[in-house]
Amino acid sequence: MIHKLVNILLVEDDEVDVMNLKRAFKKNNIQNELFVAGNGVDALDMLRTAIVASPRIIILDLNMPKMNGIEFLEILRKDEKLKSISVFVMTTSNEDSDKIDAYNLNVAGYILKPLSFEKFITSVATLDNFWSLCEM
Amino acid sequence: MAESQKSCQEELSALKKEYEDFVYIVSHDIKTPMRAISNIATWIEDDLVSNANVDILNNFSLLKNRVGRLENMLNALLEFSRVNRTEMEMYEVNIPNLVEECIAILDNKLNVKFHVNYDLSNENCITLGKKLNKVVFNLLDNAIRFHDKQIKNVFVDVSENEMDYEIKIRDDGPGIASELKDKIFSIFYTVNSKDVLDTTGAGLTISSKIVAMVGGAIQYTPAVNNGSIFQINWPKTITLKN
Amino acid sequence: MEGSNILIVDNCKTYIENAVKAFSETGIQSTLYFAENHIEAWSLLQGDQKLSPLPKIMLIDINAVGINGIDLISKIRLDSELKSILIFVISNINNNENKLAALNLNVAGYMHKPFGNEEIITLFSTLNNYWNNIEFSSKSK
Repeated sequence: MIHKLVNILLVEDDEVDVMNLKRAFKKNNIQNELFVAGNGVDALDMLRTAIVASPRIIILDLNMPKMNGIEFLEILRKDEKLKSISVFVMTTSNEDSDKIDAYNLNVAGYILKPLSFEKFITSVATLDNFWSLCEM
Repeated sequence: MAESQKSCQEELSALKKEYEDFVYIVSHDIKTPMRAISNIATWIEDDLVSNANVDILNNFSLLKNRVGRLENMLNALLEFSRVNRTEMEMYEVNIPNLVEECIAILDNKLNVKFHVNYDLSNENCITLGKKLNKVVFNLLDNAIRFHDKQIKNVFVDVSENEMDYEIKIRDDGPGIASELKDKIFSIFYTVNSKDVLDTTGAGLTISSKIVAMVGGAIQYTPAVNNGSIFQINWPKTITLKN
Repeated sequence: MEGSNILIVDNCKTYIENAVKAFSETGIQSTLYFAENHIEAWSLLQGDQKLSPLPKIMLIDINAVGINGIDLISKIRLDSELKSILIFVISNINNNENKLAALNLNVAGYMHKPFGNEEIITLFSTLNNYWNNIEFSSKSK
């Protein structure tokens, strides 16, 4: 399991997907504090005002209103205090252009949102197993 | 005269494209709320487990099943709308190998016996391999899926004419009533009620669209002692109809 | 993952042997390439022996002697063709300065290098599951 003190910021505007993730976390017994921002603007705010304090990682959707995921990432990577945060993209977009943009902005992984809840649980489990190996 | 004919053709092409784009967009966009319904049904079912009464659980089972049908229908629509857009690579195909590969995937089902016969001078052909694979697989799959007997026999005869390959797939299953034989190619039509056999009913529709696209033909005839024969004529040279 | 390349930058012979074994046991489909120092690594990335396709994944022990890991990663991040490579640091030496530098260079993971055979297999098995669960772009830049 990821170290308990790590805060996780979910940047996601779809209510159902927020719930999917929360429930998948619960099923995987992930007890880290999960913060939710509905768009990139709110997310940056939560990071800069340390509502989401270090150490922290981000799970990022790409298609969002006000500021989409790639735009958010660009700003994140230019901010001295925020640029080193690990970002995991979780999106429905299977477009190659999005994958290229995301990896060029050095995300740690790009995950397609699974279609069923059961697969969501498995996907989060794989992510969690990976996190358990990482030092932050 | 030629001018108006040309503009008619253009209008037809544009209309066709608009129709296909529409089907694609609709089925693609509907997927999101549908995925949500599916997920939410799972969560409620999950939350209910400890206190639920049997009726409630049954109803959730029904709900999830119907959402599953919705999903299948949407996926079929999506596939149908993209028949002439995706997997359009032309490459050399060895016809017997293609047929064998389809059979191999289906052969692990118990009580299915395949009887295959090839009568070919030219086994290889440059064609839309993935599309041919799709059609052959679909017909073989249907032959098994709708079979009503303990032991299911499927006979595959592959031969060639001057201009095309002829693939006949026969089964000794229940056959299809003659008054229904045109309906079976309609999208989502199933001979049996979906409560009896849960299938989407899009396989033949998609296959016939593919076959029409390459300038071939697909035909149903009843077999002599019950059973169905589906015959595909797949042109050796493909002229794509737009 | 078939047809893809993974570059490992490390010079500990035992670890490399165990890594190769672990890779084949977990059934990882990619081809492994090795570099013992940053010069060899660079040759495989932008030099005479440039890999084709370029690796999408690299494993580096930034603290191993002679590797100069942080410099190598910096160079990679500045190169338009290489900057999107997923880099995983696997090291058993605690060098906080290097660790911070690596995190600032957006490595995908910073992991402890195990020694036992079992643990190495677990490490690569977990990594393999992770790599199979994420998307990579299909076009090589």
